[in-house]
Amino acid sequence: MDSFSSPSSSSPSSQMSTEDFMDQLKVQLAQAYAEEFLETVRGKCFDKCITKPGSSLSGGESSCISRCVDRYIEATGIISRALFNSQR
Amino acid sequence: MDASALSNPQLQQMINQEKERAMATEMIAKLTSACWDKCITGTPGSKFSSSESSCLSNCAQRYMDMSIMIVKRFQSMH
Repeated sequence: MDSFSSPSSSSPSSQMSTEDFMDQLKVQLAQAYAEEFLETVRGKCFDKCITKPGSSLSGGESSCISRCVDRYIEATGIISRALFNSQR
Repeated sequence: MDASALSNPQLQQMINQEKERAMATEMIAKLTSACWDKCITGTPGSKFSSSESSCLSNCAQRYMDMSIMIVKRFQSMH
């Protein structure tokens, strides 16, 4: 993977510090999580809001999409609280 | 960075933390998807109704109950 390689290509033996590596790993993980979440939201909101694709997005479809995105994020919060903060 | 850096305890600790986080994230994502399909039957509104939010929360907790039951069922098979 490109971004894992050392930035100083002139000295290939120079080692990337563990801290730098960990920082890059965190950034890449965050990106991967965000992309996966986005892909899920696209699928869910397409199913809910674009029921009959027309020649352009209608106003109703656009506002449905905004609400759908907000509600999906909210639902994710409800699920994680139910899983991890349940006093049972 | 060479391969020996992978035995760096600091890195090992981070990898273990990230593994746990990935498992939790995957679980939340999977359950949100499944419970969204079960509980949000109409078009999403500007606010969840109380029945929608309690359905989501019940859905996640019942999934956990079910998981435990399934494990017990398998354990009792041998």
